[in-house]
Amino acid sequence: MRLTAAVAGAIVGFLAALVQAFFHVIPPPAYGICIACHMRDLVNWIAAHIYPIYGFAKGALTIPGGPVSYHIPLLTIIGILIGAGIAAKVNREFRWKSMRVSWQKPWVEFFWGMGVMISALMMGGCPVRTALKTAYLDITAMVGLIMIFVGVILGCQLIKKIS
Amino acid sequence: MDLMPPIASICLGFIFGYLGQRARLCFIGGMRDWYLIRDTYLIKGLFAFMVAALVGFGIFHIMSPAIKTFPWFINGEAVFAKKWAAMGIEANPNFMLPVPGDPITWSPRAFAHIILAIIGGLGLGFFSVLAGGCPFRQHVMAAEGSRSAMVYLLGFALGAILFHKFIVPLVKTVLG
Repeated sequence: MRLTAAVAGAIVGFLAALVQAFFHVIPPPAYGICIACHMRDLVNWIAAHIYPIYGFAKGALTIPGGPVSYHIPLLTIIGILIGAGIAAKVNREFRWKSMRVSWQKPWVEFFWGMGVMISALMMGGCPVRTALKTAYLDITAMVGLIMIFVGVILGCQLIKKIS
Repeated sequence: MDLMPPIASICLGFIFGYLGQRARLCFIGGMRDWYLIRDTYLIKGLFAFMVAALVGFGIFHIMSPAIKTFPWFINGEAVFAKKWAAMGIEANPNFMLPVPGDPITWSPRAFAHIILAIIGGLGLGFFSVLAGGCPFRQHVMAAEGSRSAMVYLLGFALGAILFHKFIVPLVKTVLG
């Protein structure tokens, strides 16, 4: 069977339900896979341990993030980087490159990353977790998914105009 | 100390990264391709993800107590009402409220969450399409050796700290 996006999405969606059911990746619910939230947990955990003043609130060390990541953060980000790196190496697709178009130059991407993280956390998850929350029948996430689509349309209009 | 969640999540991340790199999975890219050139290869991944997760939750909520809140507005309200009461928040369970979990989603008012979802969703779609892919795709591209995506990850990590230091207090003051 050829590995298409649909097959990959189905496998990962099923496993995301599985880790919540049997591997204690809870609370919060529907937290099996998320890029922004797990990155946030990792960054906050590291920041709070390097600079304890960052995590101090009312005299005790509190780490903002999902309660499951309080003692050891979830390591999904590390897993994705390792997995994608191995997949790229094995299939000889690894090569150094940077984007040519002007709005994807490295120093510009920095600000896009910041904007994406802030909006994603404001909504309560990156697109992956929004899809997972929609499968958990959460109405706010459905509104969020529709608004992501509207945002994509706006961005496409801008790209058409400047390119 | 429970070592199970980090180990499970690093394994799931490995699988997700490997499959995502082979299939070029990207949710924002799916919406963009569908809107621009009516190409459905990537957006099928988004729908397959949602359907498979729905089926998974449906199967496992019979077998596991961890998904007892699955049809969230049917079973979950009482659980979270108890949690809110423990935190000293007076709230009526409401099916419009999101699955809780982030510092910003502890407010018991549905109105605030819809506003946040609208602002956040618009910004997320707009910035992601300019950056050239959803956050997951940027991670995969960073592992493939793209310098742009590596710098994107730095901004991504800094955004989390900025959000918790400055945006959360601001939002809590504005929306109560």
